[in-house]
Amino acid sequence: MNMIISATWKEMIRRKMLLIAAVLTVLFLAVYWFIGDTVSGEVHGDLLMQVARRNAILSLGFFFAGFVVAFLAIFGSFSVISGEAEQGILQSVLTRPLPRWKWYIGRWIGYVTLIGAYALLLFAALLWITNIHAGLTRDYGDILVSLLLFLGAVPILVSASMLGSTLFSGIGNGVFMTMLYGASWLGGMVEKVRSILPVEENVQATLSRIGTLLSLLTPADGLQRRMLFVLTQGSDERIPFLTGGNPPSDTFVIYSAIFVVFAFGVGLWLFKRKDF
Amino acid sequence: MNSLTPAIQTQSLSKIYDNGRGCRDITLTVGQGEAFGFLGPNGAGKSTFVKTLVGLVSASSGSGLLLGEPIGSLKARAQIGYLPELYRYPEWLTGEEVLKFHAGLLGIKGKEMNMQIRTLLDEVSIGKRGLDRVKQYSKGMQQRLGLACALLGNPQILFLDEPSSAMDPVGRREVRELLLELKKRGKTLFLNSHLMQDVETVCDRMALMLNGNMIRTGTVEELLQVQVRWRFKVGGFSTQSLEWLRAESGLNITLEDPNYNPAQDWESPVWLQAEIADENQAGLLNMLIMEQGMTLYESSMQSEKLEDWFVDTVSGQDQRGERG
Repeated sequence: MNMIISATWKEMIRRKMLLIAAVLTVLFLAVYWFIGDTVSGEVHGDLLMQVARRNAILSLGFFFAGFVVAFLAIFGSFSVISGEAEQGILQSVLTRPLPRWKWYIGRWIGYVTLIGAYALLLFAALLWITNIHAGLTRDYGDILVSLLLFLGAVPILVSASMLGSTLFSGIGNGVFMTMLYGASWLGGMVEKVRSILPVEENVQATLSRIGTLLSLLTPADGLQRRMLFVLTQGSDERIPFLTGGNPPSDTFVIYSAIFVVFAFGVGLWLFKRKDF
Repeated sequence: MNSLTPAIQTQSLSKIYDNGRGCRDITLTVGQGEAFGFLGPNGAGKSTFVKTLVGLVSASSGSGLLLGEPIGSLKARAQIGYLPELYRYPEWLTGEEVLKFHAGLLGIKGKEMNMQIRTLLDEVSIGKRGLDRVKQYSKGMQQRLGLACALLGNPQILFLDEPSSAMDPVGRREVRELLLELKKRGKTLFLNSHLMQDVETVCDRMALMLNGNMIRTGTVEELLQVQVRWRFKVGGFSTQSLEWLRAESGLNITLEDPNYNPAQDWESPVWLQAEIADENQAGLLNMLIMEQGMTLYESSMQSEKLEDWFVDTVSGQDQRGERG
């Protein structure tokens, strides 16, 4: 299985996916540095305003980071099965004396570890810049929980993408996954809009239901919202403050874990039975 | 497994896709060291049958063994080399890296791996270009790389689906020679091909697939039902001479041109055909022709080509299918 994992890393590196992402990330981090410097520069004494501005900076940073990690996970793995089968790459591999489950798990680990490593570096860079310009919580427990929630998006999207790749064509799965992630992102937006709009309670309840349902499609964006909440408010807080909308609950986090196990399991089951 | 165990054995093996296509009820035995050709027009079900044997698709019904191991099992897959009809390799790897990856999947490591890779790259005429990325390879080069992949690990059975379809005539000849060499080394070859010359030259036996069914199987001679036909080009011909030749030889001798007119064409040479058993009869006929005072310009054997047989059989079946 180690061969499959290292072949996956080699593929992502040689196809320059990570290089392109890294170059654009460096550019973004330079801009982020400038934004952090600008926004935090004038505030000194007012603690409440300092916190508000720090949260705003973090929200901006992780808005970008969430998208980059999600698209890297989706576009790195969307054609892993159907795409390789359409090209004819997979056929010669699957006739080797290697159980199909080993190939599937090897690919999954390969994508999750490499994109996870990228996400870890991005997370650290954003926190470092934010800390320089606006200070940061010193609760390392909260930071660790935030990191785990941020990284959680990667297995969710890779599992869903590999499952989709057993069902749809390469391009079809790319479109499917982008739409799915877009829909769950929209769910988060609906939640935020609901919290801002001065509407009646029953309208709020309907919007909340729509937002939650959309978020459940792929819980990656929901986890990132929860991550931002923990990072800005602390894991003990239950009331959102300046982040907009209710953060996804503990149940949502458990649902996310079940989602990964389910998507991974169904994908593996389908792959083992698939004709090539 | 012993030397008597068939290399490939299937019993009523079928794979039917949702659209009704595939292969049906195929019972086949291929011995160890035998070269078996699989013929058929596009969409006949040849590739589906091969994919079922190598474990890429699951059989709808029936069973199969490769050297005594169930098809699709790890033990069966450990003994085969497969060149798919649609062959592509990761373009971000070099040819050598592709082979190293496949060697790793076979559990071949270290010096043994490096030695096999060097030998195979030379054998399929890739040589030093093994250090180039696959994206710089032509289709023919990729097919050569596919052949090298299939030969890794010294497999006992080779499934080759159109092994030289993307190659130029020189490449095709090289592949044909390589197949003959592999046959000499005792490998079992299962060859899917449209190239009749390859099949005719390399294979001991063959089968014809049509619409998912295996309709014929046998040696080339059996399939062609070889009846040696001899042609004679003679001058000074007359119809009386033909009657005399028939009576003297006891053979069925005919004029090749059914519109021959002795009154008009008596000065021109004519072509005669005779169905004979062996070359001795041809010699006898040559002598009788000359005895009759005719001039013998040419005397040669004409046997049916596999390609003609293939076209005739397939089109004949199609017509019967249309009438049915």
